[in-house]
Amino acid sequence: MDIIKELDQNHTCLGLVPSIEYNNIIVNMAWQLSKKSVCYVTLNKTYDSLKELFEKKGVNMKNMVFIDAISKTIKKIDDNEDNCYYVSSPSALTEISLAISKFLKHDFDYLIFDSLTNLTVYEKNAPVAKFLSSLINKINETKTRAIFYTINMGEQSELIKEVSMFVDNTLNLENTG
Amino acid sequence: MKKIMVVDDEPDIRASVKTILEKKGYKVVTAISGDDCLKQLKKEKPDLILMDIMMPGTPTREVVKKIKDIKISFLSVVRTSEAEKEELMKQSNIVDFIQKPFDIDELIKRVNKILKD
Repeated sequence: MDIIKELDQNHTCLGLVPSIEYNNIIVNMAWQLSKKSVCYVTLNKTYDSLKELFEKKGVNMKNMVFIDAISKTIKKIDDNEDNCYYVSSPSALTEISLAISKFLKHDFDYLIFDSLTNLTVYEKNAPVAKFLSSLINKINETKTRAIFYTINMGEQSELIKEVSMFVDNTLNLENTG
Repeated sequence: MKKIMVVDDEPDIRASVKTILEKKGYKVVTAISGDDCLKQLKKEKPDLILMDIMMPGTPTREVVKKIKDIKISFLSVVRTSEAEKEELMKQSNIVDFIQKPFDIDELIKRVNKILKD
């Protein structure tokens, strides 16, 4: 999957990721997009673990900043780091939204949201859909192109059905190596 | 018989881990969140708690602080770095970190080891 081409043609995309290939696919996508500036929002991997994973797989992180909404749920964080902003929890939708809005002002080329599935642990589909609709409207006002990952739970998934309506395209992300 | 408490907000995980461990001769109780776990600990005294990290309600970090003298193993989809895992395990009662999705044989092996130690 040429994600750069897809995001050239579509401002926002929903990426359906098979759970078994999840990490390989997100690394592959990050590797492709890291040639330009990227804001990476993580809800299931700590910033440290992403750094470890990306370094191991040769993903260039020089152009990346991170919004980490998971580390604070498991450990004490005193300060934000130069390229990482910590949010209290994946359930803090307002806080996540504010952090992303702040970062969108810096005109990143890409925003990666990893992942919508984790939002639904804490919130029902309706508040998540409302949060996303508002976020996507904000993104559409900027030059930043965004991809939202979700575990592919089949077309019957209510969340996938709802979010598909807000984004410009829905992609089945298969690992192409 | 050793008792294990499985704390996970996903019913499928609770049910499957319970079945797997009961087949191996453990007594298993379940809790649907960290808050439910703390509530149940008033009457239950498990030898091990298998706890998801990402659950609604009180953050796991806070829940764990309130649990004394019971071994806890995280069982979670949340990915941490090796250094973070080591740091977490420095907390007195955190004994393991099992990554989801887990291999059944590996889960049993690790639970057996924790409860033998």
